[in-house]
Amino acid sequence: MSDAEEPRIGVFICHCGHNIAGTVDVKKVAKVAAEFPHVVFSTDEMFMCADSGQQLIKDKVKEYNLNRVVVASCSPRMHEPTFRKVVEEAGLNRYLYEQANLREHVSWCHMREPGAATEKAIDLVRMSVARAARLEALPLKTVKVEPRTLIVGAGIAGLRAALDIANRGFEVVLVDKDSELGGHVRHWTHMFPDDKSGPEVLNPMIEKARKHKRITILTGSKVREFDGYIGNFKATIENIKTGDQKEFDIGAVIVTTGFTPFKPYGYFGYGEHPDIVTLAELQMMPPRKDLLKPSDKTKAKKIAFIGCVGSREYGKKGHEHCSRYCCSAVAKAASDLRDKMDEVLILYKSIRTYGKGHEDIHRLARSKFVIFSRYPIEKEPTVEIIDGKITIKWEDVFADEELIFQPDILVLATAMIPPEDIEETAKLFSLTRSADGFFNPEHIKLAPVTTHTAGIMIAGTAQAAKNASESVIDASGAAAKAVALMARGEVEIESTVSHVLSDLCSSCHTCITACPYGAISMDESHDPPVALVTEAKCHGCGTCAAACPSNAIVMMHSTDDQIISMIQAYLSPMTESEGGSVQ
Amino acid sequence: MSTEAQTQTTEKEWEPKILAFCCNWCSYAGADLAGTSRIQYPPNARIIRVNCTGRIDIEFILAALDLGADGVLVSGCHPGDCHYTSGNLKMRARWALFEKAIEQAGIDPRRIRLQWASASEAQIFADGVRTLVEQVKEAGPIRRSWE
Repeated sequence: MSDAEEPRIGVFICHCGHNIAGTVDVKKVAKVAAEFPHVVFSTDEMFMCADSGQQLIKDKVKEYNLNRVVVASCSPRMHEPTFRKVVEEAGLNRYLYEQANLREHVSWCHMREPGAATEKAIDLVRMSVARAARLEALPLKTVKVEPRTLIVGAGIAGLRAALDIANRGFEVVLVDKDSELGGHVRHWTHMFPDDKSGPEVLNPMIEKARKHKRITILTGSKVREFDGYIGNFKATIENIKTGDQKEFDIGAVIVTTGFTPFKPYGYFGYGEHPDIVTLAELQMMPPRKDLLKPSDKTKAKKIAFIGCVGSREYGKKGHEHCSRYCCSAVAKAASDLRDKMDEVLILYKSIRTYGKGHEDIHRLARSKFVIFSRYPIEKEPTVEIIDGKITIKWEDVFADEELIFQPDILVLATAMIPPEDIEETAKLFSLTRSADGFFNPEHIKLAPVTTHTAGIMIAGTAQAAKNASESVIDASGAAAKAVALMARGEVEIESTVSHVLSDLCSSCHTCITACPYGAISMDESHDPPVALVTEAKCHGCGTCAAACPSNAIVMMHSTDDQIISMIQAYLSPMTESEGGSVQ
Repeated sequence: MSTEAQTQTTEKEWEPKILAFCCNWCSYAGADLAGTSRIQYPPNARIIRVNCTGRIDIEFILAALDLGADGVLVSGCHPGDCHYTSGNLKMRARWALFEKAIEQAGIDPRRIRLQWASASEAQIFADGVRTLVEQVKEAGPIRRSWE
């Protein structure tokens, strides 16, 4: 559509059954809207998102030769994609669609004020109509995708993802800062729910990965530089020892940087006696017939576990989450060790063996007479070293009694916390972190392995504390996302990006410092150099447009003109309807 | 608007006109949740959705006040939680300057409010609107420069 073409706007007011129409006088809104500038058709309809409503839009676009559509219904966060598709099917560009929110922002939150709600609805529709008149069609853009995935972290999740992708026929670059593959799982002697040790689970995967012609393995290495956009990233990977650097073109990234086991200094005597260890440390003790005490290498006969150490501590930042692996891991280790020991005790706040097959482990431990004793949340056990012996005192909730136990080894099942260098990783890949310190997914329920940075996935314990089986599920999910991207070969990128009007640019560099993504650089081919937006890197936040002192940056689909028109339509509607601007 | 009509409106109990800017990812979603949760708050605010509070040019707020908005609300993601990493921090930096400037320009600072409300903080969003409406009611209708 050319700029010169006169806007012909259709307005559709949705009843949403009783949801909107029960509070807002929708018929009045539709009637008033018919008089707004450039509106050639206005109506109300029971459900706009239903097939009949969608068809209505298509019919009226044709009948009235509409070139803009405004639907006033629920939140655009809900149905904007639906109606964009409808207008596309009706032959319009998707960016010529505008939505007013009469449900979440009006009828549902002003239920007892129908008059004021209707007034607000009219204002919102007027604002949307004003914006619609200024909307511009934007081209739908695609970029090519480099058929190679970078996987950062070669633990169980990284290995699974690497094999999935390579087996599907795409290249993988697998990087780990450690000198060996396999992450934490490699060290563990007791895995659950099956009976294998970490190396037994991992070795076949490692072997396959090493032999695979499509997997490039770089151990003892770190990603030093990372730049680019979905489908077209560039990564510089450095060997930590030699300092040798290699550059790769990358289409997608899976971050599987994992966790670190919490070292619980200050908890239950940790660090005060060599026989007080974490579960991770116990897991690393070499497997043999008898478990030996770390202190004097004599056979241990009594062992105790304490659960939730550094997990589920309300009000303590980074330690509020449940670490999800510990209950089952403790039950498994306790059950295995019971065969070699006289007494095995588990102290817990609560037990959550929620996973498939995990309850069986718990039951097995109980059937072997592992003692489970619950202590009150508000009164944690105390650990003292009395005459060189680890002495635990606690209150058993069910016995309502103070109990004492002197184990040969005390095992603390500690939290999974983010690795020390997680902030570095977050910066490198523009990832955000949630309250537990791990990376944020794009959507906690609907998009758990993708992130807000297009083309970058997260899997395993990089996303949250979880067990190895769950990490593997994530890894296969993230691999599927990467493969889908690479198999398509090209990807649509948002057209709502910023654009520099080079004639107005005063070369001040303000936008370069404002952009959170490094998407703006100076175009040296101009004299003087002017700002230039790499569109594929632009996420469309518009921070540069607001920061530019010369008004030289246009934020597509959120232009100054579009925003100001909404402000005018609300506050100064008379001049607006006369088609003039406010003096 | 005639003088007579204006007097009538004033007598009917004057309701302030509030313009709100919400970022798409946190506060707009927070306002959606306020609706979904049926949290009731004053109907004075009209929300303009922007991708990020970083998009908000101070000129937009000045334009709104100039055109007769009695109050302006800016609501975004909490610092550190910005969908675009740091757009809200840019807004916060601009706001620090704007707050000072607006007072010097003779506009009651009670008319403007910057708040952080995440997608799950529906109550915080609604309370923010209520607070601003109350503040603006205390301050009275905005005085236009030519009045």
